[in-house]
Amino acid sequence: MKRFHPKVLGSLLICCLLAIPASHVRAQDAKSLRINGTVRSVSDGLPIAGATVVLVANKKIATATDPSGSFTLVIPADVTARTLEISSIGFGTRQIEVQPGQTVLSITLEGSRSSLNEVVVTALGISRQKKSLGYSVTEVKGSEFTQARENNIANALTGKIAGVNAVGTSTGPGGSSRVTIRGNGSFGENQPLYVVNGMPIDNTVPGGAPTVNGITFNVDRGDGIGDLNPDDIESISVLKGGTASALYGSRASNGVILITTKKGRMQKGVGLEYNTTGTLENVAVIPDYQFEYGQGDGGVKPTTIGASLNTGRRSWGAKIDGSTDYVGVDGKTHPYTAQKKNFQNYYHTGKTLTNTIALSGGNEFTTYRFSASDLNSKGILPKTTIDRKTFNLAINSKLTDKLSLDALAQYNLEVGHNRTSAGDALGNPNWVPLEIANTADVRWLEPGYDSLGNETAWNDAPIASNGYFVQNKFQENDTKNRFLGQASLAYKLLPNLVFKGTVSRDFYNYNYTNIMPTGTLYVLTGQYAGVKSDVSETNALFTTTYNTRVGEDFGIAVMGGANSRKFRNQQLSLSGLNFTIPYFYSFTNLSTSSVTPFTSHLTTNSAFGSVDLDYKSLFFLSFTGRKDWFSTLSPKHYGVFYPSIGGSFILSDAVTLPAIFNLAKIRGSWAQVGGGAPDPYAINLTYSSVPSSGQPLQNVTPDPNAFTNIISNPDLKPFTSTTYEAGIELSMLNHRLGLDVTYYNRKTTNEILPTTISTTSGYSAAYLNIGQLNNKGIEMLLTGTPIKMGDFSWNVSYNVAYNNNKVIQLAPGLTSFPVAQSVNGYTTLQHIVGQPFGMLVGTSMLKNANGDTVFNATSGLPVIAPSHNLGKSVAPWTMGLTNEFHYKRFGFSFLLDGKFGNKIFSIFEVYATRMGKLKSTLKGRENGLTVNGVDQSGNKYTRTVPVSGLRVYYDNYKTYSDLFVHDGSFVKLRQVIASYNLPVSKWHLGRLQSANIGFVARNLFILYRKTKNFDPEQSLTNSNAQGFESIGLPRTRSYGLNLSLKF
Amino acid sequence: MNMKLHISALLGLSILAQTSCTKNFVAENTNPDAVAAPIPAYVFTKALYDGMGNASGIYGGSTMYLLQGTMQYTTSYNDVAGFGSKYVAAQVQQTFGTFNAAYPDEINELGIVIKAVKNDPAKVNMLAAARIWRVFCFSRVTDLYGDIPYSQAGLGYDSSLYTPAYDAQQAIYADMLSELDAAAQSLDASKPTFAAADLIYNGNTAQWKKFAYSLMLRLAMRMTKVDIASAQSWATKAIAGGVITQDVDIAKMPYLGSGQVINQNPMAYELWNSDYIAQDGDDNAEGGKYQDVWINYLQSTNDPRLPIISVVYTSPGVTDTSAAIQKGMPANIQYTKPPNFVTYSEPNPKTVLKLSSNQLVFSAAESYFLLTEAALRGWYSGSTAAALYTLGVQAALRNWSIIAGSDGTINPGAVSSYVSANLLNTAGTFDQQMQQVYTQFWVSIFPDATEAYSSYRRTGYPALVGNNYTGNATGGKIFRRCLYPVTEQALNGDALKAAIARQGADDLMTHIWWDK
Repeated sequence: MKRFHPKVLGSLLICCLLAIPASHVRAQDAKSLRINGTVRSVSDGLPIAGATVVLVANKKIATATDPSGSFTLVIPADVTARTLEISSIGFGTRQIEVQPGQTVLSITLEGSRSSLNEVVVTALGISRQKKSLGYSVTEVKGSEFTQARENNIANALTGKIAGVNAVGTSTGPGGSSRVTIRGNGSFGENQPLYVVNGMPIDNTVPGGAPTVNGITFNVDRGDGIGDLNPDDIESISVLKGGTASALYGSRASNGVILITTKKGRMQKGVGLEYNTTGTLENVAVIPDYQFEYGQGDGGVKPTTIGASLNTGRRSWGAKIDGSTDYVGVDGKTHPYTAQKKNFQNYYHTGKTLTNTIALSGGNEFTTYRFSASDLNSKGILPKTTIDRKTFNLAINSKLTDKLSLDALAQYNLEVGHNRTSAGDALGNPNWVPLEIANTADVRWLEPGYDSLGNETAWNDAPIASNGYFVQNKFQENDTKNRFLGQASLAYKLLPNLVFKGTVSRDFYNYNYTNIMPTGTLYVLTGQYAGVKSDVSETNALFTTTYNTRVGEDFGIAVMGGANSRKFRNQQLSLSGLNFTIPYFYSFTNLSTSSVTPFTSHLTTNSAFGSVDLDYKSLFFLSFTGRKDWFSTLSPKHYGVFYPSIGGSFILSDAVTLPAIFNLAKIRGSWAQVGGGAPDPYAINLTYSSVPSSGQPLQNVTPDPNAFTNIISNPDLKPFTSTTYEAGIELSMLNHRLGLDVTYYNRKTTNEILPTTISTTSGYSAAYLNIGQLNNKGIEMLLTGTPIKMGDFSWNVSYNVAYNNNKVIQLAPGLTSFPVAQSVNGYTTLQHIVGQPFGMLVGTSMLKNANGDTVFNATSGLPVIAPSHNLGKSVAPWTMGLTNEFHYKRFGFSFLLDGKFGNKIFSIFEVYATRMGKLKSTLKGRENGLTVNGVDQSGNKYTRTVPVSGLRVYYDNYKTYSDLFVHDGSFVKLRQVIASYNLPVSKWHLGRLQSANIGFVARNLFILYRKTKNFDPEQSLTNSNAQGFESIGLPRTRSYGLNLSLKF
Repeated sequence: MNMKLHISALLGLSILAQTSCTKNFVAENTNPDAVAAPIPAYVFTKALYDGMGNASGIYGGSTMYLLQGTMQYTTSYNDVAGFGSKYVAAQVQQTFGTFNAAYPDEINELGIVIKAVKNDPAKVNMLAAARIWRVFCFSRVTDLYGDIPYSQAGLGYDSSLYTPAYDAQQAIYADMLSELDAAAQSLDASKPTFAAADLIYNGNTAQWKKFAYSLMLRLAMRMTKVDIASAQSWATKAIAGGVITQDVDIAKMPYLGSGQVINQNPMAYELWNSDYIAQDGDDNAEGGKYQDVWINYLQSTNDPRLPIISVVYTSPGVTDTSAAIQKGMPANIQYTKPPNFVTYSEPNPKTVLKLSSNQLVFSAAESYFLLTEAALRGWYSGSTAAALYTLGVQAALRNWSIIAGSDGTINPGAVSSYVSANLLNTAGTFDQQMQQVYTQFWVSIFPDATEAYSSYRRTGYPALVGNNYTGNATGGKIFRRCLYPVTEQALNGDALKAAIARQGADDLMTHIWWDK
């Protein structure tokens, strides 16, 4: 075989495209018969895409259905035998004779789309037979998201797809999700590209994600994918590998999640669907505190209000004995008893109610679907709310035989209140229930403010806010108005030659204000933060597709196109200090304020093409090529070309295999994807005004997210991500058992990143094309139907994935660089050469060769060992197990999922240790703590820390990071659905066609975990800064009822 | 179809695609909110604010906080805010502050200014001002840490130098002194200046010259323990060049009382907003108060500055400045707010905490005290040590009116009685006189704890006693230097290792070069 050369392929593609129209345009016979039809599945009535419709008499006259199941076939006037054969993989084949005068057909096919031979939506919305693909793609039906729903639909992917690591942040009802596919392939953005009906949408978090060590205004403002309404989703396809997503170019290097929304269907009258879900949620994990010694210090309980206020968050007091002279922070006398219900008393039951109504219908020319949805969610802190209204309209119209129009419009209005901050203490409402002394009732702190509205103290460190004051007086408000619109016009010049143009625009306007009020003890005069931004992503896409068969055996599909993407963000960041008129919260009322504009412009222009070949449906071969030009790169390197090649071979059709095999397929692919700089203006250093009330000030323009200065790079070139993958798919025992195994190897080179450098360079970071990151892994999906007897069936699906990630190389001279750090930097997250992405690095107590602790004889404290690796922040193993049972009208399913092999550092435990709340601080409470070891000269060392000195001794534990690092592995009962399909047809309830009622639950139990005091998925940000528990809102379990009606 | 036609069509198309696909990219990738070339005057003003801010306030804020505690002016019952007076092992990272802030701010900014003006002979005064200010800024960093990146620092953009070497402090001192000399000599009153952008001297070249030589005198005296010959030769040169001896020549930064934070007195801003804004003496967010050592000393010497700088709240919003009521808080309180917290003295909102107050960079008082030492060492014979000392005490008493205006003005009677009670004990030994001079220096330089700390380490005075607090990192001794930021281990490890090999362990008790 000749050496494959990408550029030659690219040229060939364009040649083919240019050659097609000239040789194939023919005049059409005026007397020919035009047949319009739709193909649907008998079982669920949903349209079947990609079904072939062939004239039996002349198999050259053929077409395929589009994603809405529609087709048009023109039968020449001279053909009189008008029998059509309709087939689709996974469905039975039917022959239908077209009756004289008949021009419209409605065809249904028996069979099931759950078969391995399904048709899936691939890049650019192209439907293809799954068996022809040289890569792994997984499709999830929309119904899986509508019953047991998550506010953020991306969270619902957890455990469902091998190699997809999805987790929601524990930041409340409007929180973001973090999804990574096949590991972290980049030092920068690692989340996939989200595509709705073939067009990309924006998934950024307005104003940026929260940080591990942030303070006060450190809230998760929600991501883009969280705006979609599950009820509008027909299916989700996950394109994991480079080949799958190569047609999307740069932004697809982390994989693509393709979302197809529901469309209307041809029917008499108006179809009405109503879906309602109500769920309740509660805190899932309560820390395992000590309840032996209560509030106080030095072994003494507080008996005065002053002593109580000094020790409000210290459980270093006397043995809890029920004595009655204990004074709480409310100044009242209480029995000195354990308060074990503080979590339950502080956090309420969260409630979410979602109502969606959808109208759909249409005729043979136009179909429509309109939905309106309202999601109203109240968090476990009752003033934390989110209200999301979604209106979605889809219109699909055949304007003429050749011209069709598809249009989608979605409008969202999302209003959030009191999103809670995570990270450091000030303004973090979660601080109180976690760190309050164990004999104090959290409700003694209510309402958190005095008659003037000022914060009431509960401890001696005003930076640790009274959580009730935060709930009642801090004000966070955000509004997002989002409009997602797309329209496409397709022109079928010939049945097999289609030109299509699409324009889409995802636009949102975002308003955010966050107020730290007057009377906040730590910042008496208050502070203000705000973000106003207008963000848009506009894409214009043009494609031409051409399909033909050469003889009986060869099929060719050629596609070519171009895309222009423009991203705009016009953002104003508002900040201010000191409300001049107390308790009046307006930007006009600040004694110090500044407004910082940031304008972001990015354009990517692209040309691409693909050729798909098949031989007798045994061998399939696909080539793609795409060239992207990035506005953010050096003019020397604007453009980059990436090719891909993939193939599959249906072994079971080529040779005779033992009878147990129904399908055996081998596939393999190779692809390159690249990308430009994610941020504009990285190639030239610029200077900006610094807000000043006196002489003008100027400095290097800071990075808008991190507020640090970054060295620009005039030579920035595209990065490259190269993926190989190979896999095998087997279907056995009459399709009762299926196996799909994939191995992949992905290498990212020349990654563009603002690399952290020593500040002694004068800068905090430099834009570099740095290093290399490798991801290798294996994914397995095992599906089976252990029982299928009469009305009863049991289906099992198990997926497991292993990802081996390694940082191969960073910038010259750099062996590591930091990503995030906990308070005071005791523990950091770093990328280190030779280690996996995102290693936790920190300290421990120094041990000598014998394992004895080395003490500093002067201070009496264990010596801090130099920083070292404490473990990887990302779980290399992920798995999910779904069991579905069906009996007549009853359905029951549950999903278990697990992640293994990662570490998590708990910041709350650092504080809970300092405050004497954890069981690990019980040693020495009665008679002092005797510590043994050696001194720095190697001599035996021992001392007894008196009870009065215990707090200071344990306080110093914060300097030994490893004490707070835990294995993050877990297995959870992620989802349970019990449903019953009501026999409404027997009841004759007007137009009611079906009704389904379900009990649904998410995140019900943690079956296995190593973190005693918190949920191992406790994460506060969807950025790369994983591996930290940082005093965020606790994770919850939710349960509720779902009712769906169809009229 | 003709294949050649296809190919040429294709070529044409691809060229068209190349140009149309990158059309407007240059404009697209140009930040509409920023300019391509710096304006040196604006960047210089920023560097003045940052250099002074880092030396005293919000930038290296924690360093300022902790050094005021270390020099036993202040303390806090809180272990975190009280680190400087307690040296708690778990809080040593607080000493990273100045190092972290200096390079991306003032050091880099001055590099931008110098690069922009250095090749234009007409801008020699701008260059000189930037060079002198750069020495001031670097001296603040090296005096705290010892060996630091100096000759290769701040070259990340110009030279892609991301891992600058650490220079030996001895070499840094040699270069800083010759920089001051060269810059001072290059000043030319006939050439343009930064004018109003120069917040310190409004472009007065004669005053910049005095500031340069004053700084030279300060740095020269730093070397008395380690290189007495160099110290003498540079001190002599500085004195000959002319140092600041008149109030009008004092190097001071003016600030505004409102508006953007950067325009406000950074030390006052930091103390006010972090601790004292409640104005009731009780709700101090970081638990700060004056330390007993400081208040006791001022009381025992009947210092007229005590009521200027110190107050006790008798009720919320009501202060009492009388000397008798003033009381400092002990530094050994174990992280518990004392019941009598409200009765302790704290900084006076009208002077120390005044947001619009001037901040002294180099005062006449400092010159006089350094000249007193020079006279004691026989390096200066322009006046007697006793006379210079008295001039220093008088100048220092005037400083508070320069800082805070009328609220800082001490009546002439109080001045003369204090001066007459504080004459230099010329009968004492050299060491006794040094103790008198540098204890007075400690009183006079407040609130500039950074300079007090350097002076203390060099001379040993005032004779402060370390705080042997539970869990302290130094064995109860006052630490001798600040620690390098831990991030340097990962980001500039080799250079850091070389510095540690030369200077000694990266420990609070390691003595830096001039403190050997």
